[in-house]
Amino acid sequence: MAAVGVIVNPWAGKDLRRLHAPTGHTPDAAKVGILRRVVIAALDAGASAVLVADDVSRIAARAVHGIDGAALVEGPGTGSALDTRRAATSLHDAGCRPIVVLGGDGTCRDAAMGAPDALLLAVSTGTNNVFPRFVDGTSAGTAAGLVAGGLVPWEAVSARAKQIHVEVVDGHASHHDIALVDVGLIDAARTGARAVLRASSVRAVVAAMATPASTGLSAVAGRVAPVRRGDDGGVLVTLDGSDRLVRVPLVPGTVDDLAVADVVRLADGQAVVWTGPGVLAYDGERDRVLSRTATVTVSVRRDGPWVLDVERTLACAVRRRLFDRPAAVAPLAKEGIDD
Amino acid sequence: MELTDEQLLAMHRSMIRIRLFEETAGKVMETGKMPGFLHLYVGQEAVAVGVCEALRVDDYITSTHRGHGHLVAKGGDLRRMMAELMGKATGYCGGKGGSMHINDLSLGMLGANGIVGAGAPIAVGAGFRNKYLGTDQVSVAFFGDASTNIGAFHEAANMACALHLPVVFVCEHNMYGEYTPTNKAMVIADIVDRAAGYGMPGVIVDGMDVVAVHEAATEAVARARRGEGPSLVECKTYRYFNHHGIQNLGLKYRPDDEVLAWKERDPIFTFEAKLIDTGVASRELLDATWAEIHAAIDEALQFADDSPFPAEDQMLAGVYS
Amino acid sequence: MSAADVPLPDPGEREITYVAAFIEAVKLEMAADPDVFIAGEDVGAHGGVFHTFDGVQTQFGERRAVDTPISEQAIIGLGIGAAVTGLRPIVDLMFMDFVLVAADQIANQAAKLKYMFGGQAKLPLTITTVGGAGLSAAAQHSQSLEALFCHIPGIKVVFPSNPYDVKGLMAASVREDNPVLFVLHKRMLGQRGAVPVERYEIPLGQARISRPGSDVTLVSWGKTAADSLVAAEQLAGEGIDVEVVDLRTLSPLDIGTVVESVRRTNRVVVAHEAVRFGGFGAEVAAQIQEEAFDYLDAPVGRVAAPFSPVPFTPALETRYVPDPARIAAGVRAAVARPLLGR
Ligand SMILES: Cc1ncc(C[n+]2csc(CCOP(=O)(O)OP(=O)(O)O)c2C)c(N)n1
Ligand SMILES: [Mg+2]
Repeated sequence: MAAVGVIVNPWAGKDLRRLHAPTGHTPDAAKVGILRRVVIAALDAGASAVLVADDVSRIAARAVHGIDGAALVEGPGTGSALDTRRAATSLHDAGCRPIVVLGGDGTCRDAAMGAPDALLLAVSTGTNNVFPRFVDGTSAGTAAGLVAGGLVPWEAVSARAKQIHVEVVDGHASHHDIALVDVGLIDAARTGARAVLRASSVRAVVAAMATPASTGLSAVAGRVAPVRRGDDGGVLVTLDGSDRLVRVPLVPGTVDDLAVADVVRLADGQAVVWTGPGVLAYDGERDRVLSRTATVTVSVRRDGPWVLDVERTLACAVRRRLFDRPAAVAPLAKEGIDD
Repeated sequence: MELTDEQLLAMHRSMIRIRLFEETAGKVMETGKMPGFLHLYVGQEAVAVGVCEALRVDDYITSTHRGHGHLVAKGGDLRRMMAELMGKATGYCGGKGGSMHINDLSLGMLGANGIVGAGAPIAVGAGFRNKYLGTDQVSVAFFGDASTNIGAFHEAANMACALHLPVVFVCEHNMYGEYTPTNKAMVIADIVDRAAGYGMPGVIVDGMDVVAVHEAATEAVARARRGEGPSLVECKTYRYFNHHGIQNLGLKYRPDDEVLAWKERDPIFTFEAKLIDTGVASRELLDATWAEIHAAIDEALQFADDSPFPAEDQMLAGVYS
Repeated sequence: MSAADVPLPDPGEREITYVAAFIEAVKLEMAADPDVFIAGEDVGAHGGVFHTFDGVQTQFGERRAVDTPISEQAIIGLGIGAAVTGLRPIVDLMFMDFVLVAADQIANQAAKLKYMFGGQAKLPLTITTVGGAGLSAAAQHSQSLEALFCHIPGIKVVFPSNPYDVKGLMAASVREDNPVLFVLHKRMLGQRGAVPVERYEIPLGQARISRPGSDVTLVSWGKTAADSLVAAEQLAGEGIDVEVVDLRTLSPLDIGTVVESVRRTNRVVVAHEAVRFGGFGAEVAAQIQEEAFDYLDAPVGRVAAPFSPVPFTPALETRYVPDPARIAAGVRAAVARPLLGR
């Protein structure tokens, strides 16, 4: 099958942070538009079908309305992250390569949890958008359609992403969690409204991707020791009352002083150990509450989802004259991915 | 600002006060001793409590036809509430208002309301007063998802923004307006998408999680107090019972599975599990709270039962001041 | 033309409820004319919170039985726009109290449109609603606001008192080319009465003598007209022969039937559920004294609610709403008044 999958996170871009800072709001109307552009372009570029996961806000239904070749795939409809995870599993199982994900870092993480070997094309509509790319839906859809239709071989334009593994042992319970961009140890007792707002509450961060242009927890690393998508390993930043104050946009539209005590480059697989109490934040959201006796082992490995590079895919299509009518398929040059 | 254990336990207590008050009122209504319409708040406790816990006594709120929870959360007297619902002279409105008009001006609770959408403009007025007098009080308009289809809501939201008033709009999105699913009455799914149209920030929060609601309300209230203007907090929540009365399952306009799925996320029980997990409270302590509030509700009911109905000479009292 | 001139079918033996008569009328009009549709809050899938539209969507589908958002102004506006462009809408406001939310659309738009346009427009719009107290629904869900709209030229106001009238007046309202406010009383919905199966119209603007009598005229409408019949029976036992005039339509007002009755009985009481001060009874009384002053043996009596919002508690609400006993007391007072100076 040559199908493209699409997942939209209805909650992305609407959380608490908008009260705290001039963080942008992504209304459904914008998501409907992006999604519809993805679908139209993907079908045009060569996808035989576009399977779109239904969502509680009916964004998908509104976006595909009246388009032949697009079909809704029902999910659990819980209105929670579970919907994204299940959708990733079922679209991946249905053979969708790639799955286009509309959301921010948190949404991509949920998709990766649902389908660890998926080929993702992440389009940012979230709050912190380090993992996904800012790209128009039309371009994203075109790239997705070219790959799904086999016109551009996915291996040539994709790379495996890194992933942060978190092993938590807390009393009798143990958990294995993942994150794609950053994991933070937060001085808090509850997950609450999930976003991390207070700079002084951040005790430590491990980032797999961090540039000086990042926002969110990964910006802590991005502004002292950047680590790129293509670099192996990650970086650990520990914060306390030290003298090195660094200006960090923890929430888009805010800049705070963070007291950086220690910066350590982490090799692929190198373990960092933390202890509770506190709350672990994954890709920007407070997620797991740690008791005093909890131990946490964090490492960065290149075993995350596959990520499709839109620019490369389109460039490849140009070289192969796939946009010409009738399409003249030119020989494929060797492609790699780095950035 | 992390919540203290005292605050967490106060929120727990307040949610139970609402739950037991409402369940008791529902039972009394079934016996025929409670006249009129009864729109119960059960399921939505985390919203009223999370928001009101972020307010001071001198902050104002306006409410809706589903308003008991708001008054309880603002500190309402259960005895006078129960008496009002039973139409007694000792009730909050001397028996003249009933469920849909309970209020307590001394607590800044400017009234439940029988007219959908009507509370929001009044909250704007209270916000205007606060700005006019230069106080740092804020006002909160509680309103339902479906009420945002009425002109009054739009006028209020726009005016609050145009006049830059310290007003927080709190939407309780329980997915229905009476017997019509809200997704049939509006194309958009999130009320926050409207906020941008007036020029105020809007956020979505899990309305079944009292701590999450409290965090969002705290931010919104703080902004308003600082003079940064209005904002909208949309709480995704659910009413367990029918639009009015206490039927729960078997309603033709909503699936039973949906009700049961939301009950899995019960705002009180999930919160209790977290309180125990994080060592804030023991099961025994939480049970003791239930028992204590049960007793308080029984006492309120007894008080209401024992109270007289208003005398006929009260008919014209209070039409004018 | 007086009420007696209107030929009406024999009610027959079949008894149905006030609300069933209403639904029957709605369905008959919809079946007869594809331009008739209903729209309002919860009127479709739910059939109306008072079940006033039960089964309409089942029979006519979602296209013609439309659930609207909670938007009273736009509901009336939808009716106006559709009516002026050729459809024949029935739009519903769940409670009569909510007419105030839509007051501009009703009073400034619907009622005045034809006149403002130099008489050119036709506005076949029926606004249905449920009014009245008696359910402990408190001040914002219990009002009788008919007088407000009687004060507005350009809209007709209908308030039936029994199933037979409901069906015939509703048929006439839907066929009417002017806007009509059609009020049902929430305490009457289950009242049974004889209603013909076939379609019939009761012309708007015609009162009916629902009980002939010779001692005193009792004028009322809606539920109070039904209660007036009960009061009249009580008074008959006391030797007072009451003639009950049920106005049925308040605007336009059939003062002729009232005056003709008063000229025979020489005494008159107007009873209604709305507050007395500024109530529609005041207009009826004024017109009676204008047209029948010389026939009156007593001032025009009025029985109505006190000047307060409707109280919630049954302890007060039952005293608030005029009941047969209070109506009877008002009639007794009018009858007891001696003829001074004669
Ligand atoms: C102006 C007006 N129109 C209609 C009603 C009838 N009514 C009462 S509650 C309600 C639904 C309100 O829905 P929502 O705002 O979502 O609040 P919820 O009942 O879900 O808490 C309606 C239509 C009313 N009271 N006022
Ligand atoms: Mg609702």
